[in-house]
Amino acid sequence: MAQQGEFTYRRVHRATRELLFDCLTQPEHLARFWGPAGTTTQSGGITVDLRPGGVFETVMVNDADGSQYTMRAVYVDVQRPERLVWQEPGVEGGMTTTITFTDLGHGRTEVVTHQTNVPVIFATPEARAGFGTSLDRFAAYVSTLAAR
Amino acid sequence: MTTAEDDLSLTFAALADPTRRAILTQLADGEATVTQLAEPFALTQQAISKHLKVLERAGLISRTRAAQSRPCRLEPGRFDPAAEWISRHRQMWQDRYDRLDQHLSELQSQQEGGR
Repeated sequence: MAQQGEFTYRRVHRATRELLFDCLTQPEHLARFWGPAGTTTQSGGITVDLRPGGVFETVMVNDADGSQYTMRAVYVDVQRPERLVWQEPGVEGGMTTTITFTDLGHGRTEVVTHQTNVPVIFATPEARAGFGTSLDRFAAYVSTLAAR
Repeated sequence: MTTAEDDLSLTFAALADPTRRAILTQLADGEATVTQLAEPFALTQQAISKHLKVLERAGLISRTRAAQSRPCRLEPGRFDPAAEWISRHRQMWQDRYDRLDQHLSELQSQQEGGR
């Protein structure tokens, strides 16, 4: 099956690849920024078994009503400090998140977050068969339509 | 699945086909009849009509009943939920890495303070 429902987010940080890799794989770091907004993820609610096949789980607690949502993923590839891949088997189609760390020199690192099989695309068989484009390109396409 | 998600599925399904995306692009320039829409494609009017039905069901286009030719027009507002879903997903990652930057600068100032 072709890769569908792709999503890419690029960011440059002022830190080494090693530190960024550790931030994304150590519960005490993750608890400081994992979020998302309006939720809290405590380090005690984060499970990291950093090896291919190992578990990556985060319990996110809604700040407003205390309700919980658990992201359940399994590491697919763990290569400090270049590459980190996990898959969420519970999400239809198995959403896969790949994070790559590229040394730009002068203490800067580019972090690229690439996701495939983003679930909204998998909502219907037609979408599964045909939407072989990235969400970013789709967003750009929609905005060109709206701009006319 | 909620109604909002169902609508979103219809939107993405309708957009899954390159011919339908081309039709929408053409309609972004203004109303057009089935005959006009069929022209750029090596497709029968019947085939185009099928595509139009999918787009109409998703609410991405509407067809006026006033004229015999029933021209189609784009309903740009219907694209908003799909665009919003994507921008929310983007925002989640942006916020996450914003907080990571903040965390990094705190680590850095702790290190400097400890020297």
